[in-house]
Amino acid sequence: MAIHEKHLIRPENIRTHDNLVIDGVDVSGHWSTFIETRVVTDYNEALEEEIAALPGGEYIHRCWQCGSCTNACTVNAVNPDFNPRYWIYLIRMGMESELLRDKDIIWQCVSCNKCTYACPRDVVPEGVMKATAHWLEMKGHTEPSNSTIFDEEFTRQVVKTGKIEDGRILMNFLKNSKQPLVQDWLVQMVMQMVKHLPFKYLFGLGWATLFAPKTKRWAKTRDAIEEHIAEEKAAERAALGLDPKT
Amino acid sequence: MSNKPILVVGGGPAGLAAAHSLAAVGQKTVLVEKEDRLGGAPILSGYAKLVPSGEWAKDAIGSMVTRVEKHKLITVKTGVSVSECKGKAGDFKVKFSEGKGASFSSVVMCTGFTHFDSINKPEWGFGTYEDVVTTTQVEQMISSGQGVRRPSNGDKPKRVAILLCVGSRDRQIGREWCSKICCTVSANLAMEIREELPDCHVYIYYMDIRTFGLLETKYYWKSQEEYKVKYIKARIAEVTSDGDKIIVKGEDTLVKRPITIPFDLVVHAIGMDPNIDNMLLSSIFDVDLETHGFIDRKDAYGELGATSRPGIYVAGSATGPETIDDSIAQGTAAAMSALVSSNSKIAAE
Repeated sequence: MAIHEKHLIRPENIRTHDNLVIDGVDVSGHWSTFIETRVVTDYNEALEEEIAALPGGEYIHRCWQCGSCTNACTVNAVNPDFNPRYWIYLIRMGMESELLRDKDIIWQCVSCNKCTYACPRDVVPEGVMKATAHWLEMKGHTEPSNSTIFDEEFTRQVVKTGKIEDGRILMNFLKNSKQPLVQDWLVQMVMQMVKHLPFKYLFGLGWATLFAPKTKRWAKTRDAIEEHIAEEKAAERAALGLDPKT
Repeated sequence: MSNKPILVVGGGPAGLAAAHSLAAVGQKTVLVEKEDRLGGAPILSGYAKLVPSGEWAKDAIGSMVTRVEKHKLITVKTGVSVSECKGKAGDFKVKFSEGKGASFSSVVMCTGFTHFDSINKPEWGFGTYEDVVTTTQVEQMISSGQGVRRPSNGDKPKRVAILLCVGSRDRQIGREWCSKICCTVSANLAMEIREELPDCHVYIYYMDIRTFGLLETKYYWKSQEEYKVKYIKARIAEVTSDGDKIIVKGEDTLVKRPITIPFDLVVHAIGMDPNIDNMLLSSIFDVDLETHGFIDRKDAYGELGATSRPGIYVAGSATGPETIDDSIAQGTAAAMSALVSSNSKIAAE
């Protein structure tokens, strides 16, 4: 049977067999076209619990679907498909496959927190967006975003030395995110700095980039922070059912 | 005080409050109750913890019953109903089902409501599947100490669905009113279930949530925020079974998708019907019914509890879906009106 309003159906939900014989009747091609069901057949309670286990997602269960977040959203104004209210619902009801359809836009949250101030139930939707993007990365549904790569490098330096060094962060970020080290905007910025910054600051910057000084007596603090981060990460991974016990 | 007694009809929360109020100011009162004991729906139907006090019905309403039974000025007649009410304000000639008659200066009708019978909504599976029950049955499971279990096999349910507006807001079955208390009662039961069975997920299917006034935070918010009860905006179309699980079908309106979800236990949040005897009561007491079939209130701002017949007053869920707290308040208010009507001296001033 031909489907007339095909544009109303998601392409992946239309199934056609090129060669199909049922009870001796050849229904190959469009004669065997059928539409995959949209029926929700079960709730996956684990999904909400997983998101709630990540920082920012703690209050997702408070949501009563009023839509204030989506209405307040900066990104939604530009991209109507960016709908925090909808994603919160999908997560709460465990509709994982639906959520994954939007995996490539969820990270677009700009953390303006307008939703946070609009939300009558203190769900902190911005936090939920952060947790969801985090969840997508941890589960391997999305590549680490540039902001994650930046955060990782930033954190690595702070933990290692107790300091951050701008030049190194920038270089390693560009390298880790597979971007060329020579960027037009970067060249511009460096040239302006060379032109306008007093020599002693320039010297200091260059020296720090080369030698990466550490905070004095840092090792103990570093160990404590590393231990804490490792614990937090392990807890998160356990909550998501990653690293099953072997 | 009038030397003729005042008649209170019905021994539920409103009637108990009316009788007690009258006796407390020295008025002789007769309380008739057609069932064999006092307490009304909370006692007769075995409610568990009441909203919003959280007290057990048998303690809270039980103490009202004791207070009335012990009072010297109150004559309690159980297992008795009114069969005739002639005369006029100040001198009602009342006959009882037991055959005796008496004269009363005024009457307070606290004749209550009847729980909606879910059998009238056959598409939702009550009466067909054992594991489809009503909120009243769940109240009984809790108040009896048995705990919430699947009637079919006694198992602890892992997943419970509560369907709101069963017998309310439904033109198909001639019940257009909101029963007012079922949202709050359901949120309360959902929390009770989560408390008893922490591994059991509870879903509430709603059209609107009407946990009015201060009940909002104590029930709706609390059930979501502390007990993680999930609310799904869908009016269920059909309840079936696969032989074990109860299958709930409907549309999840927020994602515009059909749902077919298995549950262990489905609970109907049944509404409040007019007392099944209201036609009869209306003719015995000669009082008008309002359009839904509850007893009509004549005056909202002047004489509280007035009906269409002078000297006869009404209070509680006889007038429409009502909370226990408000029924008690109305019983007390109607008692005051009856008292004023009975005492010509007070009325004249």
